[in-house]
Amino acid sequence: MAIEIKSKLTFPGGVHPPEYKEITENCAIEVMPSPKQVSVLLGQHIGAICKPTVAKRDKVQAGQIVGDSDAFVSAPVHTPVTGTVKDISLQSHPVLGRALAILIETDPENDSGKSPSPDRFDKDYDIQQYSSEQICEITRKAGIIGMGGAGFPTRVKIEPNPRLPKDLLIINGCECEPFITCDYRLMVEWTWQVLTGIRLAAKAARIERIKIGIEDNKPDAIEAMRQSVNESGQADKIEVVVVRTKYPQGGERQLIRSLLRKHVPSGGIPPMIGVCVLNIATCAALAEAVVCGAPLTHRVVTVTGNAIDRPGNYYVPIGTTIADLIDFCGGLTERAAKVVLGGPMMGFAIADLSRPITKTCGALTFLSQEMITKAKYDRRVTPCIRCGRCLTVCPENLNPTKIAHAVKKNRLDLAEQYYMSACIECGCCSFICPANIELTGYIKTGKILQARAKKKIPE
Amino acid sequence: MMTILAEITELWQQAGLAAVTMVGLGATFALVLLIASIKLKVQVDPKIEQVYEALPKIDCGACGFAGCSSYAKGVVANPELLGRCSPGGSEVANKIAAILSLSMGQSSVPARAVVHCRSHTEDKEFYASYTGIPSCTAANAVANVQACKFGCLGFGDCVQACKFDALHMIDGLATVDYEKCTGCTACVKACPRNLIEMVPFTHENMMVVACRSRESGKITRSMCKVGCIGCGLCAKQTDLFTVQDNVARMAYDRYEPDQASETAMYKCPTGVIVFRGKNAPEPRPAGEKPQTAKT
Repeated sequence: MAIEIKSKLTFPGGVHPPEYKEITENCAIEVMPSPKQVSVLLGQHIGAICKPTVAKRDKVQAGQIVGDSDAFVSAPVHTPVTGTVKDISLQSHPVLGRALAILIETDPENDSGKSPSPDRFDKDYDIQQYSSEQICEITRKAGIIGMGGAGFPTRVKIEPNPRLPKDLLIINGCECEPFITCDYRLMVEWTWQVLTGIRLAAKAARIERIKIGIEDNKPDAIEAMRQSVNESGQADKIEVVVVRTKYPQGGERQLIRSLLRKHVPSGGIPPMIGVCVLNIATCAALAEAVVCGAPLTHRVVTVTGNAIDRPGNYYVPIGTTIADLIDFCGGLTERAAKVVLGGPMMGFAIADLSRPITKTCGALTFLSQEMITKAKYDRRVTPCIRCGRCLTVCPENLNPTKIAHAVKKNRLDLAEQYYMSACIECGCCSFICPANIELTGYIKTGKILQARAKKKIPE
Repeated sequence: MMTILAEITELWQQAGLAAVTMVGLGATFALVLLIASIKLKVQVDPKIEQVYEALPKIDCGACGFAGCSSYAKGVVANPELLGRCSPGGSEVANKIAAILSLSMGQSSVPARAVVHCRSHTEDKEFYASYTGIPSCTAANAVANVQACKFGCLGFGDCVQACKFDALHMIDGLATVDYEKCTGCTACVKACPRNLIEMVPFTHENMMVVACRSRESGKITRSMCKVGCIGCGLCAKQTDLFTVQDNVARMAYDRYEPDQASETAMYKCPTGVIVFRGKNAPEPRPAGEKPQTAKT
């Protein structure tokens, strides 16, 4: 058993939801074979949606680009399997409802599936053979985007920008969301791959200082990362920093606050204070793309919750439907009642199991009827009692109640006075509210209303 | 007796003094106010007052101004804004034109809200039960809150937005009360799925295509009993209808109640083409086959 580590580095606010990480914590990453059919969505990232570059009935090779865009803020999508393009049509999208996707039928004779290659990396791996521009170009071509959830194209993030010089790279290994363990398993099992990715990203961004932030509930990961940093002889550049376990420690603004005691300006981005934040899974994908030439076609997904037969961490082809993944994990147990894409704090409840896994989807949580009914009984909404708990837990120091009430009354001007747009939608206020008011939901609704009020009504 | 008389006299003298003082004060202030009202008179264009009198004075904001008085100022300053008052319609526009001595081009057709969906709760498919915030905007942010991505959500954001009590939620479908609708466009702005459109009511009852589903016919059928499957039968009958993106659209401004459009309506396999208006006939019940006897 690893040593007990406690850290004092933290940010104001935040909550301590039950972790439930023990369900999948000790499940080694398992490779899922290619399913019979995948549907690769063309809009998985922030930025311009890709246009298909293949036509119906085309033969595609695993790793081939099937959608691309000329826009700067965009990333191409690749097929994870070898097979035939069956259709290009509207498919279920995790967030957009229905969106354009490429359906590819796997050719079982030629498709060999992809296996991860963490063995190719070790402490002697020479990253100096690649120039900064080369790494940026490969990042773009491999379609790598922020895999922590937002999906911002990584190339745009790491490319040196003379207007916003960056001098510190922060690697986000917090994984503060309950249930999720995919980044933890990556750090423990594929330590060298993650570390190579981190060094490559730093090289591409021309940054000398690196901090890896890990929460103190993951002593194994801290130990593994520290050891490999020391072995690689990079200890003067790379520092593994332990931060306190608290939700949302993994929010990039919160992590920067914890590590540097600096505030990212409201409505601003980390490069404004010279920081670049990358996720663990993104670094692993980056290393794979640069060293093995493999584009981002697979990712590690934590399948968890108490309503799935075989929870674990799986290396899943992107585009696999949730139904196929459930089959691979032994199916749902009878108690299954709710499927959440992502973790319980920030995830979306989904209703359609034909949705494909996307690049940003790190977890699937299957909750049982017992958990839901208990929660439902507790979640009778009562009037606000003005206790102020949401104010104490808000990591952005906002007043969620005021914003929610303003949105309820359709007073968007008032909501904006209380800095509605600064909300990071972490869900702390909804979690802590004793009156069970869905504060985050109202703030999200307000943001949608505001976006709509700004643009003209479409015909 | 004498003492009482003396007291009354004294009281009279005092009261008289007070009365004289009060009258004097009143007269002085009245004089000041009179002078001030003449000297400091604000010139108001009498036309603005006349126009304001002609307007419906409900401050609905359909014209784009904050209320009727600011629209009155606006329209006097810029006559091009004439005809923006949709609750008043052509009647008010003509009155304003008369006040401003403008000639009104053609008599404007009143625009009324039309909900492009006719699917009640029992007609549509749901994948799961939604337990979140009861508002269309919030529900629309959750994908697949109901199977159809284009249909009415039924939480009534438009009902809340309507100032004239002209919209009601009937069995999960927003239904317009055409006796009350003034065409102020508040509901158009409220609907997160852009289902409500202002249609020029050239006739008392308008024929409309009550569906916006751009899914393919097969998927639409699986999700809703009364969805447009884009079969194109209506387009074959008359060129009023065009099928684009798997959904029929109608040229409302050219609509005339004739045989061809009636046939198109009866031929529609899912009954999406319906009448909307003050005395609209009941649409065919959901899921019922078209009547072949009608010619």
